[in-house]
Amino acid sequence: MSTLTIQGLRVEVAGKEVLKGFDLTMASGEVHVIMGPNGSGKSTLAHALAGHPGYKVLAGSVVIDDIELLDLSATERTRHGLFLALQHPMEVPGVRPIDLLVAAGAPREGLRERMGEEARRVELRPEVLERFVNVDLSGGERKRAEMVQLAILQPKFAMLDEIDSGLDVDALGAVARRLQGATTEWNCGVLAITHFRRLLHELTPTMIHVVSEGRVVATGGPEMAEILEKDGYEPFRIVQK
Amino acid sequence: MKNFSQSALSYIEALENSSARLGAWETFSALGLPKTVDEVWRYAPLRELDLDHFEVRSPDHVPALSNFARELGERAGLVVRVLDGAVVEVTGALEGVNVECVESTWSSKYANDAFAQLNCALSPYTITLRVADGAHVVTPIVILNSTSTDASFPQVNITLGRSAQASVVEYLDGGVDALVVPLAEYDLADNSSLQVSTYQRLDASAWHIARSTGSLGRDARLRQAVISIGAHYNRSRNDAQFLGAGAENELRTTFLGSGNQVHDFRTHQFHRVGRTHSTLLSKGAVADASRSVYTGMIEIEKGAKRTDARQTNHNLLLSPHAHADSVPNLDIRENDVMCAHASSVGPLDELQRWYLESRGVTRPDAERLMIQGFFYEMLATLPSELAEVVERDLGETLHHVEIVTP
Repeated sequence: MSTLTIQGLRVEVAGKEVLKGFDLTMASGEVHVIMGPNGSGKSTLAHALAGHPGYKVLAGSVVIDDIELLDLSATERTRHGLFLALQHPMEVPGVRPIDLLVAAGAPREGLRERMGEEARRVELRPEVLERFVNVDLSGGERKRAEMVQLAILQPKFAMLDEIDSGLDVDALGAVARRLQGATTEWNCGVLAITHFRRLLHELTPTMIHVVSEGRVVATGGPEMAEILEKDGYEPFRIVQK
Repeated sequence: MKNFSQSALSYIEALENSSARLGAWETFSALGLPKTVDEVWRYAPLRELDLDHFEVRSPDHVPALSNFARELGERAGLVVRVLDGAVVEVTGALEGVNVECVESTWSSKYANDAFAQLNCALSPYTITLRVADGAHVVTPIVILNSTSTDASFPQVNITLGRSAQASVVEYLDGGVDALVVPLAEYDLADNSSLQVSTYQRLDASAWHIARSTGSLGRDARLRQAVISIGAHYNRSRNDAQFLGAGAENELRTTFLGSGNQVHDFRTHQFHRVGRTHSTLLSKGAVADASRSVYTGMIEIEKGAKRTDARQTNHNLLLSPHAHADSVPNLDIRENDVMCAHASSVGPLDELQRWYLESRGVTRPDAERLMIQGFFYEMLATLPSELAEVVERDLGETLHHVEIVTP
């Protein structure tokens, strides 16, 4: 059993402070959902945690099992169990998904077969993974390809940045079911950032956190999704003084 | 001290039919070696080129093949082994393919090219691979081209008959402290299709000054790849001329520079007739204190309507001391054409690297994967039987390259 603890995280992007003291604690096997309006800092959280070079951490702490991730390189953070599935996964021409996964530490033995199997689980044509990483893939295919990487690498915690945008209903269902499966198959903790409630039809949240102005302003159980659906984010908005 | 001229003349005199050779030698002597004031030789370290460092002679023995050359050969249907310009062995046979050694008649075509004249004077003969009309040769042909002496001048012609198809891979190795001056012509009759890839892995001390010309008949298709790793100075000029409508040329040139190497790539796509299509992709990486120049010319003749010509050049800088120049040129004498060029010079993409790192790939591995990837894209022209072997060899080479991020 692992725990991910984010405390007082402050992050600056292009000279502007976007995360202003973000706190969150979650355990293996749990599904936490972060919801919030555009610009509230949801994606910043994901990128900062994954060590994106454009995001500067000003203060705070991110710990998995007593290890401070913010002291580590992007590579080491992932190797310590934090994986980010991106909203817009990058094209890396000339690099094949299988070579990426081997370099990331996946055992080569039977890897192609496992990739094929995982591709089918998220309704992705396996031959898509024979091409270069994300090159010429549609937005939806890229997200499903991220899910394949996730399933092969089996991190302790998976962050998903708007994994649902650009997916059709069927694909969304497949992705949600895959994530739900991950929570039991290897006790993966899922931290899903989303705008939409529809991801939650097949992925049961342990907790939902509402983010506004760079911090968590409300936390609740699955019922939170319905409140947000009905009332929107407005009631949760922090008014800047 | 060696005497290049004296050894060259004795070599020529020992050949049968030396008069044509002497003609080429005289043309070379009249031209002299090019100078760096000449724009097209601007980047060449010609001041370091002293011909009396080399002696022209026939090899005294046939060295054993390298493991890599053997591996390539094992995957081919026909292997032509060339040593210092002469055929020493032909292994295998393919229906519709002939290998002939014929007296060279090329000198007059290269009146202003001193190195081509040297080749015409000093190559033993033209090695001609002839693919018969209509022959569809699916198994690759490999030319193993080694240099064991001080100076080698291989002359290779690949001729495809009407509607013929073939795939040829040429591998160059050897060349310790040597001058290697290959000259090649690819003649594609109407509707024929040739895939030709050159993998140059000469010793890092070699001078390599190569030129190839493709001539494309109606609806002919030439897919050419030039992959250069070796040589101290590597010059690779690859031209194509379009003689028949519907002809298509795809050229991929690539290099990896290290140490203080200079890679000097020149291309000239000459669209003499309309409805012809050229795509040129040049990609290279320079590490350490190496440098590269890419100069591409697209020439479109008046009346060559609906020509489509594109060139792209991407250069990767792997060290702050490396340098790459890109000089695209257009000479278009017709309005009804499509023409485009693009070029870039820069370090590895930081975000792509981060993406790989965020999957758990270490930085050195991420950089190697990206550089390998940069090259793998260029291997598309290799026949699948050989791509894997070349890819592995290239991957091993890349492991020794030091990447210094700015």
